[in-house]
Amino acid sequence: MVAVFVLLCVLAVPFVFPTWWMVTASFKPMSEILRIPPTLWPSSPTAEAYGQVFDLQPFAQQYWNSMYIAALVTVGTIAVSSMAGYAFARIRFPGANLLFGVVLIGLLVPAEVTIVPLFRLVNWAGLIDTHWPLIVIPIVGAPSVLATFIMRQFFLTLPGELEEAARMDGLSRAGIFRRIAFPLARPAIAAVAIFTFLHSWNLFLEPLVFLSSRESFTLPLALTQYVDAYGGPMWNVQLAATTLTVLPVLAVFLLAQRQFVEGLANTGLKG
Amino acid sequence: MKHRTLLAAGLTAVALTLTACGGGDGEDSTSDGPADLRMTVWTSDEAQLALFQEIADAYVAEHSDTVSGISFETLPFEDYTTGITTQIAGGNPPDLAWIFESSAPEFVASGALLDLRPVLEETDGYDAGDLEPDALRLWESDGGLYAYPFSNSPFGVFVNTDQLTAAGQPLPADLIAAGDWTWDRAAEIAAATAQTSGKAGLVVRDFDFALWENLGTIWSSFGARPWSEDGSSCEFTSPEMIDALTWIHDQIFTTGALPGPGTTADFFAGDAAMTVTQISRASALDGSFGWDLVPLPDGPEGHINVIGQAGIGVFADGPNADVAADFLAYFTNPENAERLAAYFPPPRTSLLNAETLQGANAKLTAEQLQAVVIDGIPGAVTKPAHANFAQLQAAIRAELDALWTADADVTAVAESVCAAAEPLLAG
Amino acid sequence: MATATLGPPRARRRLSRREDVLTGYAFVLPQLVGSLLFVIGPLVAVVWYSLHDWNVLANSFTYSGTDNYERLATDPGFHDAMRASGIFSAGLVLLNVGLALGLAVMLNQRLPGTATFRAFFFSPVVVSLVAWTIVWGFLLQADGGINGFLSQLGIDGPNWLREGPTAMLSVIVVQVFKNVGLNMVLFLAALQGVPKEVREAATMDGASAWRSFWSVTVPLISGTILLVSILTVVGSLQVFAQIAVLTQGGPGTSTTVIVYYLYQQAFQFQEFGYASAVSVVLFVIVAILTFVQWQTRRRWVFHEV
Repeated sequence: MVAVFVLLCVLAVPFVFPTWWMVTASFKPMSEILRIPPTLWPSSPTAEAYGQVFDLQPFAQQYWNSMYIAALVTVGTIAVSSMAGYAFARIRFPGANLLFGVVLIGLLVPAEVTIVPLFRLVNWAGLIDTHWPLIVIPIVGAPSVLATFIMRQFFLTLPGELEEAARMDGLSRAGIFRRIAFPLARPAIAAVAIFTFLHSWNLFLEPLVFLSSRESFTLPLALTQYVDAYGGPMWNVQLAATTLTVLPVLAVFLLAQRQFVEGLANTGLKG
Repeated sequence: MKHRTLLAAGLTAVALTLTACGGGDGEDSTSDGPADLRMTVWTSDEAQLALFQEIADAYVAEHSDTVSGISFETLPFEDYTTGITTQIAGGNPPDLAWIFESSAPEFVASGALLDLRPVLEETDGYDAGDLEPDALRLWESDGGLYAYPFSNSPFGVFVNTDQLTAAGQPLPADLIAAGDWTWDRAAEIAAATAQTSGKAGLVVRDFDFALWENLGTIWSSFGARPWSEDGSSCEFTSPEMIDALTWIHDQIFTTGALPGPGTTADFFAGDAAMTVTQISRASALDGSFGWDLVPLPDGPEGHINVIGQAGIGVFADGPNADVAADFLAYFTNPENAERLAAYFPPPRTSLLNAETLQGANAKLTAEQLQAVVIDGIPGAVTKPAHANFAQLQAAIRAELDALWTADADVTAVAESVCAAAEPLLAG
Repeated sequence: MATATLGPPRARRRLSRREDVLTGYAFVLPQLVGSLLFVIGPLVAVVWYSLHDWNVLANSFTYSGTDNYERLATDPGFHDAMRASGIFSAGLVLLNVGLALGLAVMLNQRLPGTATFRAFFFSPVVVSLVAWTIVWGFLLQADGGINGFLSQLGIDGPNWLREGPTAMLSVIVVQVFKNVGLNMVLFLAALQGVPKEVREAATMDGASAWRSFWSVTVPLISGTILLVSILTVVGSLQVFAQIAVLTQGGPGTSTTVIVYYLYQQAFQFQEFGYASAVSVVLFVIVAILTFVQWQTRRRWVFHEV
């Protein structure tokens, strides 16, 4: 027992230390960040870098961009994937298997593979440097396929009797979904929400390609912009900005970790 | 019914993506009414962008019949060329773009850029004869000038005089006076200072064991170059290059004058005794330590100046190419070039004097500017460039990795570099 | 699926078959249109590009048949990338699944502080990938935190990101720490689904804890193990940002995995036609691997939990 406990403590170090280092380093002056050997605690803490985060870029605007895009994508994905997942799991209609197969292809396509044709499509539609492609493509395109898959796995496990009973009450199919199935799917929806929010929050390649003005940038892209005019990195400012993007998500996770973890465990991925 | 609708939707999607390819040839080649111009840049410096916008707004005010607005779009420095290429591939190229010197031959040879010489020569008061021929060389092809090198930043050596003095080392300025400012001396001083300070010695900035082209500041004065003038044959195996690479290797792994791979040392944060970089970085100095700026040391072949350039090109295929070229002529005319000189040493001989540049670089003394900038641009060599540069960069970087170990065999590495580079140089 | 018998019941009363079918189509329509527009369409376009020689700067786009594919067959850079991807994926799956299972088993012991440890191991999952990788980049420098710590123990650490074998190892391990928490949670849920009596029965038989784990518990959660492995393999073939931040494909080409190679060809060298051919091959590999794993599911998986 004690051995297991000690082992867990040792193993936890590489999981926790990087975050610790990031937060403390953001309070160090530039010269101390690179000091050999590294310091555990800033010797003369300064919050100077945090001021520069907002001076050098419209960081608050970029923060808002990331927040609202991730929120819209999460809500949209839940709607689209729960409907599609429900239909694929519970409704018998001609071609369902074929169509499910078509949708599943999205699970196999890395974003890098289709980025050039997607860029052409977005450009053709005149939506370069807007947030539309970052909202619409994840909701109905490849990134939402995993969500649909998770929802389908969940709806497969719903007992049929529930629907039977609802039918006796005269509910339509859409009504059954809205009143019975969707509310029951809360754990799976939680999992989808977590996956989707994190995915959108961390998206890098797509914003890089689709966005061009700093006012429209999202956080991961903004983090790479903390360089001086000649491309030299400004480590302390970059780390301060990174800390600002990581801590809120981490805080939400720690507060709600039970729901987080149990939500994920209930993805239906276990069978 | 539904099946057919879905199929139609799918086919539309496919057709859409297909018709979108083949380049932006579907667009109008001439435009009606005032144009909206867009220039891609890699700076995100507010002061610089504000200056550009000021010049642009003045131009728009004067030419409201042809131009309705000019915007400057910052693409991330790291992914700059990727950003423009994606825009071009997507059929949405900018009207004007900053271009890295390393990709100059590629852009010049591609035919994508407009020949600027006619516009510049015909514009009243432009005084094209004032442009320094050495600065234009990289951007020319068959008599045409395909981009304007707006920034000509010479490489020099920044010295942390506090650290050198603390280590009891002579200062480079005195060595220059004594005619003894050589790479060997610089390395000796750097190694000794690093010993004392416990920090890094001489840092070739931005090299970082990946961007090997920055080593050109060293090997140029050894008489070495990576490939022949016409870019067709590899010269890493030349005796001069072997000497230069051996010297660099020794300074890293034997004397410790240069920091080893995987070490980050920022001169401007006080982590190094000296750094080789462009003078425009002087703005990063905050007065927390004493410093000096001196020209590059001499090598076995004497003194060679090296400059880093950046150009502005106009995309020939764009609907507003002529208007864009006219704006470029305005953007870089003598008056505006003098204003831009605050950040970017211009290629104009009339402006390359201490007074003009002094206004821009308050941190540098007239002597420093004279020695490093004014004497440093004529006759300077640029960093390596090639029509196939991106591929050469990656291929050579991968082979050079073998050199960055203590027991490396320099000649063998040079041979493998050439083996990897030859097919790309020929193609 | 264990739920095969739970298919949609027959329609009754007001709920006509016709309404059911219409609702079904309506429900899948957004996802389907999205798939056609943003997945299938672009995929077809990529296949089309791969049959062309596309010079972006010179604005030329000419049909070149299978030239790009023939070039793939003889391109040593592509072969290196395939090998690097193979090593990366194999290493990642073994380490990730192994560690995730180990952590899940330890946390399943109901020790004090289990919830805290679970939060610790899971926390990197919610940290942004780029941030995580940048921090590790600092720690793994020649004079960074890892070697600083090792030197305290009197060990002279290697230059992690600059030497062939340790560079690949570093990239794998950084990725494992980032995502192992997710797999751990999935395993934990599966383990909690294993009835206690089953394990106790096995131990009373005299089987050691270790043997009962292998012969009783592992078969019972084999479905989860397989699914986690599939997701990890597919994810591992798409690794990009970590490589870009930590090693840029080096030293040499030792960590130039296939997506990084694809990115270089397309965006650094502007070889869009050739890069498209690489994309097509990558897609086929992912599809085949997924299909094979899905098929083995039937043969290997002992029990569905």
